[in-house]
Amino acid sequence: MIYRETGQFKISYAADQAIFPIRQDLIGMLLILAVAFIGIPLLATDYFYLAILIPFLILSLAAIGLNLLTGYCGQLSLGTGAFMSVGAYAAYNLAIRVPDLNLLVIFLMAGGIAALVGVVFGLPSLRIKGFYLAVATLAAQFFIDWVFLRIKWFTNYTPSGSVSAPALDIFGYVFATPRQHYLFVLVIVVIMALVAKNLVRGRIGRAWMAVRDMDIAAEIIGIPLLRTKLLAFAVSSFYAGIAGALWAFVYLGSWEPYAFGIDRSFQILFMIIIGGLGSILGCFLGAFFISIVPILLNQVPAALGVPISTATASHLEYMIFGALIIFFLIVEPHGFARLWQIGKEKLRLWPFPH
Amino acid sequence: MITMYVPTSAPERTIGDVLLKVDDISLSFGGVKALSNVSFDIRQGEIRAIIGPNGAGKSSMLNCINGFYHPQQGTITYKGVVRRQMRPHEAAAQGIARTFQNIALFKGMSTLDNIMTGRLLKMKQNFFLQALHWGPAQKEEIEHREFVERIIDFLEIQSIRKVPVGRLPYGLQKRVELGRALAAEPTLLLLDEPMAGMNVEEKEDMCRFILDVNEEFGTTIALIEHDMGVVMDISDRVVVLDYGRKIADGTPDEVRNDQRVIDAYLGVQH
Amino acid sequence: MLSVFAQIYEQPGFFVEVVLGGLMAGVLYALVALGFVLIFKASGVFNFAQGAMVLFAALSLVRLMEVMPFWAAFLASCAIMVALAFAIERLVLRPLVNQEGIVLFMATLGIAFFLDGFGQTIWGSEVYTLELGVPKDPVFILESVFEGGVLVNQLDIFAAVVAGALVVVLALFFQKTKIGLALRAVADDHQAAQSIGVPLNYIWLIVWSVAGIVALVAGMVWGAKLGVQFSLALVALKALPVLILGGFTSVPGAIVGGLIIGVGEKIAEVYFGSQIGGGIENWFAYVLALVFLLFRPQGLFGEKIIERV
Repeated sequence: MIYRETGQFKISYAADQAIFPIRQDLIGMLLILAVAFIGIPLLATDYFYLAILIPFLILSLAAIGLNLLTGYCGQLSLGTGAFMSVGAYAAYNLAIRVPDLNLLVIFLMAGGIAALVGVVFGLPSLRIKGFYLAVATLAAQFFIDWVFLRIKWFTNYTPSGSVSAPALDIFGYVFATPRQHYLFVLVIVVIMALVAKNLVRGRIGRAWMAVRDMDIAAEIIGIPLLRTKLLAFAVSSFYAGIAGALWAFVYLGSWEPYAFGIDRSFQILFMIIIGGLGSILGCFLGAFFISIVPILLNQVPAALGVPISTATASHLEYMIFGALIIFFLIVEPHGFARLWQIGKEKLRLWPFPH
Repeated sequence: MITMYVPTSAPERTIGDVLLKVDDISLSFGGVKALSNVSFDIRQGEIRAIIGPNGAGKSSMLNCINGFYHPQQGTITYKGVVRRQMRPHEAAAQGIARTFQNIALFKGMSTLDNIMTGRLLKMKQNFFLQALHWGPAQKEEIEHREFVERIIDFLEIQSIRKVPVGRLPYGLQKRVELGRALAAEPTLLLLDEPMAGMNVEEKEDMCRFILDVNEEFGTTIALIEHDMGVVMDISDRVVVLDYGRKIADGTPDEVRNDQRVIDAYLGVQH
Repeated sequence: MLSVFAQIYEQPGFFVEVVLGGLMAGVLYALVALGFVLIFKASGVFNFAQGAMVLFAALSLVRLMEVMPFWAAFLASCAIMVALAFAIERLVLRPLVNQEGIVLFMATLGIAFFLDGFGQTIWGSEVYTLELGVPKDPVFILESVFEGGVLVNQLDIFAAVVAGALVVVLALFFQKTKIGLALRAVADDHQAAQSIGVPLNYIWLIVWSVAGIVALVAGMVWGAKLGVQFSLALVALKALPVLILGGFTSVPGAIVGGLIIGVGEKIAEVYFGSQIGGGIENWFAYVLALVFLLFRPQGLFGEKIIERV
């Protein structure tokens, strides 16, 4: 009875094209934002920020990037981790080599550099499609891994190859505590999620989806395929690059190239598939699920008083994780976002289902 | 400013100069000849039908016209410019729109979004304004939405505006596809079997839409169709292909009485 | 660059050795790629679990060999792989029939995770040596042709023979048996095959079983060479460039692609690798395959695609 659009008449196309055309959705979103910006900072512990909230938000951002490319434009990529590492190392090198550069500028430039690299590795997409392209993006993953591992200039010739990020200092204000870190990440993620939503509901998003659904027809109605795909690669890698820079600077602090290996790419891919391809909301749902499950798998046996060895635990984690993925694909191949949508449809009709 | 489809009293139909001329076109796929030395023209404002038995090369002809196939030989003159080949999106930019034999809609998108894609070429606002969905970008979006809503009204598909097209029945999908082509405000509209697989009622509707488009907006139409009744009723001139060759060209009456056409359709020992 | 050619000219024997080594590695890549191709052909599934299947099969074999003779362990491992195929068909493929390719791909990633964990839970996660009774000492051949002869590993020769035999058996199976015909029909068009009465589920079971046994052979050979350990699962990643080179649906493509990648990688590693920092074998194969694709997007053996609308 509560969730109804009755009586909400739209008198302009602008209102009909709003992100939340139904008032209850808008209110719901404002509530979530209020909790995120006010509620959580009042209540959360440091562990909560560091182990759950900050990684969840940053990985959501990377998932949005991948979803723009894979879910909206239909170009399957297995190289997200590599584009994240480009962002991370670009930010690191800018920070140590260009003194007095504002950190926000550094992050933007890091995203831009990642976008350029993404465009280069997106070029094969003109000639190859589908899984062939996915394998080609693996080339990006392995090549970029190698670059940061072997070309010592990028790691500033540190003997171990491990590098450390400078303090988060923006206009003289240093973000130091977990709570400050959380708010910093939250602001960036909210803004970038909004921008992503704007892109996909306008001209650019429609061009992407047209290419995804039927590239031949898209070309015939006048969409230039290469430019559209490359734009998707660029925007996607920009998001991944910023996410990588945040992951390195805010979450890890100091890191090695392995932090952005192929496992990271798969993790982000899992997020968008479990969350829902072609849905911005799905990125958050998927990221939450994928980052919370390993934590639960670690905590639950201990809490139940069943001590298991670390090796067994990690093997069990693999098994349960694999099984869960299959289970969710069978239950709802279109992810949480679709479940949410179906739920809302049901709710609109409830309690009179016909 | 966007020109609008304003339903007015039907203007006098005038058949103008040659809009598109194909000259001596040959196309083959690795030894298989799809088209051999085909020449014909399409005049401004007319409805031109391309008919022929299955495998005669009709769809290949349309594919050559809008740049999807590149003929090995011959030229295509469009709006007075001679060309050998172009990319499909360039053809679209020059005002050639089309529909497909097997519907080529974007299945994951709604009716509204599908037709909006037809407007993509006319949308100019840059990436950063799009990202903010603000000011000129929002204004542009709304202007085009208004235009698309007129097409939706014209095709009488208001009720399925937000339905993903994958869920629509075949006849409606054909209509949405026509809408998408119309959204580009084409000079030349290519229709590949717009009435295939439809029942009589749906065919009548589709005929009406085609005639309305031609009369009210002066759009030149080239169409492939198997239903001879429809072809003879609505087209001004008909070109007949058989085994990749042109065997007849003329008004419906001329074509109907052409011995080679009768042979091609009834089958004659060659 | 020039110095490389000079080096090749001066030491032709060494060059042949490098090429032979590359061919041997290529045979092993081809074995893994073959498993991918079989499944992709018959079910359109991009099976990312092939590497996990290789590991699982090798672990089963090596642990069973501790309690029974080789041939019994091999047959038992075959049975395990068939049982696995059965489980996958029942629990994963059947519920997901008619889903898009990406969903099935994700499901195989799930299978890969599960198998990696499951295999190491029941069989253990140490490094096991797999003793096949083949001498591992290198021998010199062609001593009359090149000064000092050419050094080859006997195990590699054994691997090549096994792989060759496997390919012949598979080719006979596909071309000469009724099941093979049904498989090719399914590969060509699922729905058409189904409509003339080819039982899809049964075909999938067969093809996943065959891929499982191919994985077992690959695991056996790789395992004998490197030891049976977790890194076997990563061998699958090396087989992927072979696939883009040879085409996802071509058995000869998998073999020739494997050989090209093996040789190219070896030559690059030996002659150029040290100049740019080493460790290039992780990505070189991919780049090689990509460059190839620029000139031949349909792969080595794929047919040129005529797009229709």
